[in-house]
Amino acid sequence: MKKVIIFSVAFLMVFAALYSCRGRERVEEVTPPPPPPPEVEEQPEVEEVEEVEEPVVVEEPEPTEEEIFMSKTLEEINLEAPLQMIHFDFDRYFIRDDAKPVLEANAEWLKKYDSVVILIEGHCDERGTEEYNLALGEKRAKSTLDYLSSLGISADRIRTISYGKSMPLDPGHNEIAWQKNRRAKFLMIKK
Amino acid sequence: MKIKRILPWGILILLVVLILHPQQEVVISIKEGMPAIPLALPDFIVRSSLPETITVAQELHQIISDDLKYSRVFQLLPKSYYSYIRPLNPEEIFFKDWESIQANILFVGELPESEGKKFLFEGKIYDVKAGRFIFGKRYQSEKTLIRLVAHKMADEIMKIYGEREIFTSKIVFTSNRDGNDELYMMDYDGHNQTRLTFNKKQDYMPAWSADGKKIAYTSYRNNMAGLYILDPFEGEITEVISKGTSFAPAFSPDGKKLAFCSTLEMGNPEIYVATSEGKNIKRLTFNKAIDTAPSWSPTSREIAFTSDRGGTPQIYIMDAEGSNVRRISFGGSYHDAPAWSPAGDRVAYVSRVDQIFDIYVLNLRTEQVIKLTESNARNETPSWSPDGRHLVFSSNLTGKIQLYAIDYDGSNLRRLTSEGESKLPDWSR
Repeated sequence: MKKVIIFSVAFLMVFAALYSCRGRERVEEVTPPPPPPPEVEEQPEVEEVEEVEEPVVVEEPEPTEEEIFMSKTLEEINLEAPLQMIHFDFDRYFIRDDAKPVLEANAEWLKKYDSVVILIEGHCDERGTEEYNLALGEKRAKSTLDYLSSLGISADRIRTISYGKSMPLDPGHNEIAWQKNRRAKFLMIKK
Repeated sequence: MKIKRILPWGILILLVVLILHPQQEVVISIKEGMPAIPLALPDFIVRSSLPETITVAQELHQIISDDLKYSRVFQLLPKSYYSYIRPLNPEEIFFKDWESIQANILFVGELPESEGKKFLFEGKIYDVKAGRFIFGKRYQSEKTLIRLVAHKMADEIMKIYGEREIFTSKIVFTSNRDGNDELYMMDYDGHNQTRLTFNKKQDYMPAWSADGKKIAYTSYRNNMAGLYILDPFEGEITEVISKGTSFAPAFSPDGKKLAFCSTLEMGNPEIYVATSEGKNIKRLTFNKAIDTAPSWSPTSREIAFTSDRGGTPQIYIMDAEGSNVRRISFGGSYHDAPAWSPAGDRVAYVSRVDQIFDIYVLNLRTEQVIKLTESNARNETPSWSPDGRHLVFSSNLTGKIQLYAIDYDGSNLRRLTSEGESKLPDWSR
């Protein structure tokens, strides 16, 4: 019985083989043999997932007041005129009461920017004579220096000059112009 | 009731006192010195064949005539007088003719034949009464220098009569005509206005040296009002002080010293003195008040100056070493800018009354004060002519500040400048 099964299987295999040969002969295959499969290397398993983000550049910090100040030229600072001018009475050079708070504010500013060197210009109105006015302008600058000095500003940081009546602020010939022209003005000459 | 009765009497007494009280200011007009010398100045004789010599002769005649008229020493005879006598013949002068028309001096000018483009000018002075030749001078020059030649000739005439040269003197001043304050100089009559300094900084308050060769002035540079000396003929500038504010320079008439105001020490305006080169600086005033505007006496032994040590600006005199200070101005609350006359007997200064500045002259011998200017203006910075017969000063008489000249007695006011604004004059010695 066993022999019968083996022969029948063998017969079937031969038949099948013959049949398949006959089929191939009929369909002529022209495709080239497939290329050998690529050699696949074993990939390491990815364990962690990295989150991708663009690196953040450190933002410029807000500049300090000091830095803004230092970045400007003397001309720019003087144009802004952070130090207010003060005015004087006719023929006089003492510091008036209304000038004191102005000088106090100026002193605070000078304490904040303690490297600044200033020039105080003394000016007069046209109702004084040329020669005496130059001296009077100098006196006005000097009393302004003395007051700032009394508020703790080193006199080494202050220079004085007098223009007499040669540089009026207001060219008019009336009390308003004269009052404007009797002044001590501040100019930064070093920072 | 009682007060009411007394009050009118009180006012009356007060008025009487005010009227009787002698006033400090005495406004008088004086005609000083010798009467003017009558001088004949007939037309100049042209011998040159160059056609333009005729105009040169006319210009020379005009300038010399103007100079001598301005001198207050000579009085020119009216031209019409010359028609009464025989025409001038330089070879044979009829002195009796000239005497008959009351000439004391005869000036004969001739323009001889000259070579090239230069002209020749010859001037001769004759004493009419003595009938003799006194002095002669011959000049050769370009036509562009006619004014200088005429002024030199006129100065020679002044010198013969013992007077100081004035027509070749120069006035230095500050003007903003070219934008900012710079130094300029001009002839005594306002001609030949020439710029001396060239920069963007303010150049200010000039003063001649005694020999008329240098000018001290204040220049605003490097945030300072320093003192400098300029040689206007060489263009050299020497720094004297570049510290504090220094101004109002004044060379001593002997040529040795330079006084000025400065805040050199302690920031207070004081008067200092240095050598004429600006060396060896010494302080003369020591007080907390303002001391400024020095002006030397002609002997160079004393200095007049302004000080507010008494509360208001007044004129003082001190010895050249700073001692023996005495006040000379009284009767006003604001005096400045003293100018000591070349003869030494007077000091001119500015007095402010009700916002008006006028120039006054104090006679130091008689203590009389003359008000020289009378105008509703600001007349400032007087400076004497070398012969002391004229003063130059600045005034805003026409609105803008310009320079004017006036005679010692307040007559003959004439304007010298018109461009921009001009101020701070100093007349060379």
